[in-house]
Amino acid sequence: MNSNRNVDLKIIIIGALGVGKTSLLHQFVHKTFHEDYRTTLGASILSKRIMVDNTPLKLQIWDTGGQERFRSMVSTFYKGSDGCMLAFDVTDLESFESLDDWREDFLEKIIPAEQGFPMVVLGNKIDLNERQVSKETASFWCKEKDIPYFEVSAKNDINVVQAFETLARQALLRYQEMLENYLTDSIKLTPDDQPKKKCC
Amino acid sequence: MGTVPSRGRRLQSGPRVGNCLARCPAVALGVPGSRAISLSPCLPPASDDQKLVFVQQGPLVLVSVSRTLQSEQQLRQELLYVYYQILSMLTQVSITRIFERKKNYDLRRLLAGSEKILDRLLNLVESDPGFLLGAVRCLPLPASLRDALGTLLQKAITPNLVFSILVARSQLVTAVQERAVIEECRLEPTDLHLLLNLIGASSAFQAGEIWTPICLPRFNPDGYFYAYISYLDAECTVCLVLLSTDKESFYAVSDCKRRVEEAMRTQGSLQVLSGGLQSPSYGVGQVGVPDLRHFLYKPLDIPENYRQLPQFTSPELEGPYCSEEEQHRLFDLYHHLHSRIHSTSRPLRLIYHVAEKETLLAWVTSKFELYTCFSPMVTKAGAINVLTKLLRWIKKEEDRLFIRYPPKYSTTPNPGKGTKGGRPDGAENGFFAGL
Repeated sequence: MNSNRNVDLKIIIIGALGVGKTSLLHQFVHKTFHEDYRTTLGASILSKRIMVDNTPLKLQIWDTGGQERFRSMVSTFYKGSDGCMLAFDVTDLESFESLDDWREDFLEKIIPAEQGFPMVVLGNKIDLNERQVSKETASFWCKEKDIPYFEVSAKNDINVVQAFETLARQALLRYQEMLENYLTDSIKLTPDDQPKKKCC
Repeated sequence: MGTVPSRGRRLQSGPRVGNCLARCPAVALGVPGSRAISLSPCLPPASDDQKLVFVQQGPLVLVSVSRTLQSEQQLRQELLYVYYQILSMLTQVSITRIFERKKNYDLRRLLAGSEKILDRLLNLVESDPGFLLGAVRCLPLPASLRDALGTLLQKAITPNLVFSILVARSQLVTAVQERAVIEECRLEPTDLHLLLNLIGASSAFQAGEIWTPICLPRFNPDGYFYAYISYLDAECTVCLVLLSTDKESFYAVSDCKRRVEEAMRTQGSLQVLSGGLQSPSYGVGQVGVPDLRHFLYKPLDIPENYRQLPQFTSPELEGPYCSEEEQHRLFDLYHHLHSRIHSTSRPLRLIYHVAEKETLLAWVTSKFELYTCFSPMVTKAGAINVLTKLLRWIKKEEDRLFIRYPPKYSTTPNPGKGTKGGRPDGAENGFFAGL
């Protein structure tokens, strides 16, 4: 497997209004945090290069606006995603309860439908005291769906990098698997031929 | 946010915006369609100096309660701007359909998160002469540089690209338009103001790229463009906006930006637009006449076939108008003169207004609309002398101050007016299925 060329992956961040998607992205990419809230218009796209398992990755991260008016248009944003980050605010129960909708909506629009699409859930704003969603509740929900859960704080830079890197790793694995599948398929001449072992 | 009780915010953000914007059965107007209704002194207001203005647009009723010097006409215009800004986010056809389905729908649901956008708009309406004059301010640039940038944008195109707009330090550098599209319908200053306000209030001053649906309500209130927005310099002062009718074209449009960026670096024009000068505009001292403190100049004699955006020019505010309070006071005066000049009952061509802190002269001819501010010591003869010199200076600097010949390009054989259709489908117009 050649690791000298960048792998380009598209990551999308979705979730309710005001949970901190933009802040999470900015903490990850710029190591900055701003207290003042600015709603994201449509989708805001930033890139970051990281190394995962000795593979250089270029992540193109789509931070989407959580406003309801964008919900019906997000299919254009979802297209071609390699990984999905679901974010909610631990001090806002509604933002957690809507995760089901966000997740299902996303999976519906991914073509073709997939099991185990790379996904992580982030419970943001753990730096605040007024929690409405406990760690147990969120963990349970995530475990049921077999999605890694991270308690994070964009403000204090807690767990942000880990969450993104985990998602990136998942997305990379899937990408590599798909690549192998294509390679394997293309070598098969008749259904009876054994597929050639892939070489690295 | 502050303060300044005498200016009083007209439309409060938050729940009261909702009250203004939710369908208002108590105001029993009953007649759909747009109608401006002024209910000033007749309604018992809380105090005598308060004006109450209503504007109805479709199912929405907008209300303004104001204590400033603005005229009814101006307040109505302000409400219309708010309405247009809402359209820029939702489109008219969406709003109509939503209220058809659900008569008491609370529009705040769709506008949640947009308070800053509307707040910022109201600030601009009061403080940016562009709204008052219905014109756009251009960044003063040597014509050769502006032309070179226009040519650059003309080349960085892709199918379905309709507008390419370059803005530096909140002023227009150039706007290039798709040839066939602008034959049908022109880009208006209002649309540009709303677009820039959306950008300024949202993910502004951030590196990266934005891809978002946007409606230009004066151009086509029922359709969305897809806007690509990106800053070209590290300080985020030079902004490139590309509008496409194709929602799947992000990567193609992003590539246009890359080409623009590369070409600008080769040209060396990015530095000129961003870092170079500290102040965005020019100082009134450049005109070289004492006694002149400030002015607003809007040329009117533009041949139709030039298809220009209406523009204006104005120097930096300095001298006695550095504080916000003084700036507000000056703009209130400009607003006042403007309303008298454009009064529907008794319009005027020339007003000479002598006050304690300054003397103002407003003058409208077939060639221009001009507002000037002098020191209070000036005499009438002195003022006329200053005016003459000012007009001469503007004439001399014309090519630098204004975009004379907006460039065009062709990208599509049969372009439409945005993603509309006789029957726009839900997803295209962002109509929400969950209602």
